[in-house]
Amino acid sequence: MKRFLINLALAIAAFTVQSCIFPQIPFLSASPNLLLILTFSFGFICGKDAGMLCGFLCGILLDLFYSGPFGFYTLFYVCMGYVNGIFTQYYYEDYITLPLILSGINDLAYNLYIYIFLFLIRNRLNFLFYLREIIIPEIIFTVLVTLLVYRIFLAITRKMEELEKRRDTDFV
Amino acid sequence: MESKRSKYILIGLSVFCILLIGISSVNDGFLAPLRNGVGYVLTPIQSGINRAGSAAYEKIQNYSSLQAALQENEELKSQVDTLTEENGRLQQEQFELNRLRELYGLDQEYMQYHKVGARVIAKDSGDWFHIFRIDKGSNDGIREDMNVIAGGGLVGIVTDVGANYATVRSIIDDSSEVYAMAMQSGSNCVVEGDLTLYREGRLRLTHIAQDGDVKEGDRIVTSNISSRFLPGLLIGYAADITMDSNRVTQSGYLIPAAQFDTLQEVLVITDLKSEMSEGGSGDGESVPGDETSADESSAGAGSAGGETAAAAEGESGAESAPESSGEAGQ
Repeated sequence: MKRFLINLALAIAAFTVQSCIFPQIPFLSASPNLLLILTFSFGFICGKDAGMLCGFLCGILLDLFYSGPFGFYTLFYVCMGYVNGIFTQYYYEDYITLPLILSGINDLAYNLYIYIFLFLIRNRLNFLFYLREIIIPEIIFTVLVTLLVYRIFLAITRKMEELEKRRDTDFV
Repeated sequence: MESKRSKYILIGLSVFCILLIGISSVNDGFLAPLRNGVGYVLTPIQSGINRAGSAAYEKIQNYSSLQAALQENEELKSQVDTLTEENGRLQQEQFELNRLRELYGLDQEYMQYHKVGARVIAKDSGDWFHIFRIDKGSNDGIREDMNVIAGGGLVGIVTDVGANYATVRSIIDDSSEVYAMAMQSGSNCVVEGDLTLYREGRLRLTHIAQDGDVKEGDRIVTSNISSRFLPGLLIGYAADITMDSNRVTQSGYLIPAAQFDTLQEVLVITDLKSEMSEGGSGDGESVPGDETSADESSAGAGSAGGETAAAAEGESGAESAPESSGEAGQ
């Protein structure tokens, strides 16, 4: 329950920062995708279930914001949480290379998902343009932000685990 | 065991999402209460963060722009002189226009839309779309399909309304299409948002008839035949009009009048186009003895415009005609 609440709070925080603060920063030509970083970090650090929970919350938030078909983003985020949960067996603390690579791949997959289902089906074939102007900048910014944010999430999850452990021992 | 459970959850959630996508693309209505509820929580947070963020940013911006402002002040002062002179001339012309309009029996409702100011509190979270959210909702009288303007130009249209927020799709969004016409000649065209042109600050201008008269620099306004956009709102200025390769239509670019990257406050026009035709004919009736001249003028305008325009005008004429005859009967 506590985990759920913390997840929800983090998702809302990431969402508001992303939709309210990033657009106001003028030198940011592409906005990093915080929700994506949040989901993949949780999946990578805590496993499939936590990743899916986080992905579900983030996806629902995004779906509520857009007025398109409901569930479009949730579907992707849930799957992403699951897939990143697979990599949790390679997870070591203070190991930053794999998370960075994962972050880049996740963002690429996310943007391709949007391109294919919302642009390609409307006959926008100029893929190279979208790749150059939108996808690549976003991936770069997202990976850069991952460097910072991943540490924060790591600290939060560590604290969460500590709390849970303490509570368990209290009960015993 | 553990991984099997995860797999089931994944499959369950995916099926759930796909079902939702299916249902909501057919019928979006059942989600309104959910969106509303979340809006109650999220909108205050968003508007608070937005206010704090923009306040901090403005402080920095103020300081750095002071110097530029002083210089600009000088230029503007000289501009004021020329504008005052021009204004005097225009006022004179306005009087003449009013007189002529009265003569023609045309109502001036174009200028008199009711507006509500709103603040932009959130933009969409990626670069794929140009959707934003404003801090006014159905509580403030905002409804779906209302037009949004800022800086003298059309910005977008309300696509989704909650109790205290509304989502606006701007005309630069890739999926946006607006029926428009050239102000001088009345040639119809379509303004399409295009992501590939967004960086250049342009929109696409298409479906101009082969013999349509749209020239570079022409003012493009929303058309009378659009079903959702009110007529006569300035969208922008035409540029680089060329003949299409199929030799049937012309197309070009449009430079929007509104500034999209610095959008902070917008005005929402609370008149709906779908209700306007009724209101318009009502106004016409209130002036006794004007129906015939109004009908005549609309018929004249219809024959001057394209076929579609004629059809639309004919429709509105037909709409008002039975009503007025009914009133006469009473």
